Amino acid sequence: MSAPARAWAWLRRNALPIYAGLAVAYMLIPIAVIAVFSFGATPKDKLTFGLDNGFTTEYWRTMFSKPELNEALITSLRLALFATLIATAIGTAMAIALVRHRFRGKRLANLLIVIPMATPEVVIGASLLSMFIYYTFALGFTTLLIAHVMFSISFVVVVVRSRLIGFDRNIEEAAADLGAGPLTTFRTVTLPLLAPGVVSAALLAFALSIDDFVISNFNSGTTVTFPLYVYGVSLRGIPVQVNAIATLLFLLAVIAVGLVLFQQRRAEKMAAVQPEAEEGGPIPLPGTAAAQ
Amino acid sequence: MRSWKQRLVPYWLLGPGLLWLLFFFVVPMYFMGELALYSGSLTSGGFEFTWAWSNFPDALSGHTEQIWRSFFYAGTATLLCLLIGYPLAYAIAFRAGRYKTLLLFAVIAPFFTTYLIRTIAWKTILSDDSPVVSALQTLSLTPEGGRVLATSGAVIAGLTYNFLPFMILPLYANLERLDMRLIEAAKDLYSDSRIAFLKVTLPLTMPGIVAGVLLTFIPAFGDYVNAQLLGGTGQAMIGNVIQSLYLNQRNYPEAAALSFLMMALILAIVIVYIRFAGTEAFMGDEDEEGA
Amino acid sequence: MLSSERSDRRATAILAVLIAAVTLALGLAACGGGGAGGGNGGETTVAEAGKAEGELVFSNWPGYIDPGKNGTIAEFEDKTGIKVDYIEDINSNDSFFGKLQPQLEQGQSGGRSLFVVADYMAEQMHDLGYLQEIEKDDLPTVFENILPSLKSPEFDPERKFSVPWQGGMTGIWVDTSKAPEIKSVNDLFDPKYKGKVTMLDELRETPALVMLAEGVDPAEASADEWLAAIDKIKSAADSGQIRRFTGNDYTEDLTAGNIVAAIGWSGDASLIENPNAEWRMPTEGCVRWSENMVIPVGAPNTAAAIAFMNFVYRPEVAADITEWVEYISPVDGVKPILEKNGSELAESEIVFPSDEFTRNCTGQNTPPELDKVNEAWQNVLTG
Repeated sequence: MSAPARAWAWLRRNALPIYAGLAVAYMLIPIAVIAVFSFGATPKDKLTFGLDNGFTTEYWRTMFSKPELNEALITSLRLALFATLIATAIGTAMAIALVRHRFRGKRLANLLIVIPMATPEVVIGASLLSMFIYYTFALGFTTLLIAHVMFSISFVVVVVRSRLIGFDRNIEEAAADLGAGPLTTFRTVTLPLLAPGVVSAALLAFALSIDDFVISNFNSGTTVTFPLYVYGVSLRGIPVQVNAIATLLFLLAVIAVGLVLFQQRRAEKMAAVQPEAEEGGPIPLPGTAAAQ
Repeated sequence: MRSWKQRLVPYWLLGPGLLWLLFFFVVPMYFMGELALYSGSLTSGGFEFTWAWSNFPDALSGHTEQIWRSFFYAGTATLLCLLIGYPLAYAIAFRAGRYKTLLLFAVIAPFFTTYLIRTIAWKTILSDDSPVVSALQTLSLTPEGGRVLATSGAVIAGLTYNFLPFMILPLYANLERLDMRLIEAAKDLYSDSRIAFLKVTLPLTMPGIVAGVLLTFIPAFGDYVNAQLLGGTGQAMIGNVIQSLYLNQRNYPEAAALSFLMMALILAIVIVYIRFAGTEAFMGDEDEEGA
Repeated sequence: MLSSERSDRRATAILAVLIAAVTLALGLAACGGGGAGGGNGGETTVAEAGKAEGELVFSNWPGYIDPGKNGTIAEFEDKTGIKVDYIEDINSNDSFFGKLQPQLEQGQSGGRSLFVVADYMAEQMHDLGYLQEIEKDDLPTVFENILPSLKSPEFDPERKFSVPWQGGMTGIWVDTSKAPEIKSVNDLFDPKYKGKVTMLDELRETPALVMLAEGVDPAEASADEWLAAIDKIKSAADSGQIRRFTGNDYTEDLTAGNIVAAIGWSGDASLIENPNAEWRMPTEGCVRWSENMVIPVGAPNTAAAIAFMNFVYRPEVAADITEWVEYISPVDGVKPILEKNGSELAESEIVFPSDEFTRNCTGQNTPPELDKVNEAWQNVLTG
């Protein structure tokens, strides 16, 4: 084969990974911009997305110097954590019920789950507020949590459900044949196979909560979340520290993932070194991490 | 025969979620519905319940342009998300190996930097004097006026970028559990990998596509941030209108009426779409499928 | 299969009826409140003064006070021992009102004892019964130092419920390196600047300026004249002459070089990183506005709020604020202090405008037939 033909063949074989790389780069462009501009000096300490004034690490050093910013950040993280846990648990349970069980009123339940996703955030936010006020429910972290869980449930259900559909029941039946009770089957077979879907859903719920602006704006009282803080300052000049924090959050997420990967690789290495250990364990199922 | 306890299981599973949605979605919606039938205004003596059904056609006729525009923007963005996201989800599910989790996180990670900051970053990247826009200008890819910001293109680009994870995650969740052996069998059967894809992979991943499209189109339809930051005059979407009606005009009845209409419209689309794509694909009732 | 389908449908119907019944019950119970009304009747509460202590929750616009350890808030906390929770959550009069209205309607303020809104919004809130009145005797420092021109405005002749915070002017920001010849709002309609011009989204500012440029006095204009100005703006928006309508974010466009001119506010110099940008008084005049501290109904700590109002009317405190914020102070005696400090702001016509400078300026006027005019304006904004 001639060189150009070989190059072409190489390109065709690797088209998908190359494309994936480009797509991921596209997703990260704004992050890069944000990171770069967290190092730009500005005379009034307000974000300007310009590097004309030189490079500085001042904003990274004073990143946590603004109490309002820190408070907003912590509030957002706490909120997202709780909302994710609750919504994922509730939503996964619902998805399982909807896909796996026969019961009355399934159509109605499906409808009830879809409608919130079809509602504009302004409407959800405003209507929730009216209700909280009427029942003189104090606005604050709790009302925010309620709202965040509410709008996340539907998304969790949809994501987990799409994973559950066409799920091979044979494996579970095999486990039952081998003597496992329903709870054990669920724990050792169903849940691990379901895990990627649940994790996807949890990630989505977390992202939705951290990012939410409209609904939070209506139901937060005097509690300030990170997006609310950013919106508040964006109209009059964002402090550059915000960029630094945004970049930091991103880096923390990357580090967390790195740790998970590192853990995974160690587990694989150990499995490779001690093949005897596998015999007593569960059968590696196709498509799971253990089989890679 | 299933025991009493067994038959109650689905209700236990559904219970918390349904109750949550009932109290914190349905009831507020009732309040909203009531509001849509009010008339009057804050400055002229307050609102009264007057069975003002006319609010609905009034709201609709006053804003048809924005509704069509929202359809167009959200539809285009969803299509782009699908075209960009499907190959990416496929690559992550099948070709990523140990980098799978890392790549998934790369998809979600931008969310940790706040919607507003991301969109403002795009605003900078696409500003009139930026190198990106200059490059596009030399390639003659910019719309008239030679700028990218404050045009429909910018809004659609923003929507696409911001909703890409909504498309990728459900696609991935579905692709990941696909049995590779089916795909390999298809490749053996059909000489052309493209046909194998169309006849086997695509139909098998339909549930993921349906979920992704719906999860992307619907919030995109009601979005207003992208139009506000990246658009100019003439790019307002229906979300902007509702926000304006509610907050700036304090015309709560019309805002409520328009919101209901929007929801009805979207539900109609969802129902039609499900009929078209197949109920099993969406409802996922395994018993009906007869796995 | 058939029988289970039928029973499934029956069950769905039963569940639907159940859910409807529950919501109906809850909703009927709610029929009394939950909506929006016309105020809580005639009675206006008077804010109690007294020993100032405890916590003060104060909502304001971003960038409207000098922050940090040496700032006004810190100074106030030091001197009085009151802990201040300063929240910058106001970005537009309308959306803040929209957010707070349901609570104010029920007599709650969401924990706030003090916030800052524009003249017209203060008036509107007062008319709806959402504000508390303050006894003149409780505000000695305020009445001692307030600028005479602000002592008795039309909307609150005795300053019963509003105390000015800062003032400013709406005019034209021009990028002198690109369009130095722009001097009037009419110039913004010149086709050679197509797509390079932005306007504010405020009803009482942009159409008012356009009317001024046409020779119409916004204070006396009829609804039709307002609508005519709005129409003119609409055509410009439709044709792409006006790039977009903005809030504070016109400053970004100016910095980025996306526009050559914008209708904007006099004190925003600190937000525009463009050395060529300059605020100009339009030849036909500007819109002069001011914003006010108000105490809402349901305020938990009115004594602290009143103490704060008195505090910021001390000339030295007011001077600190002006130096940072660069808007027009309502306090008499600030200019000499700044002069003594050698601050350039003392000479600035923007911070200390002479009567001559603002001779053609008008205030923030509310148009007649407000609902109709506002609707027309909002349709332009969301076109």
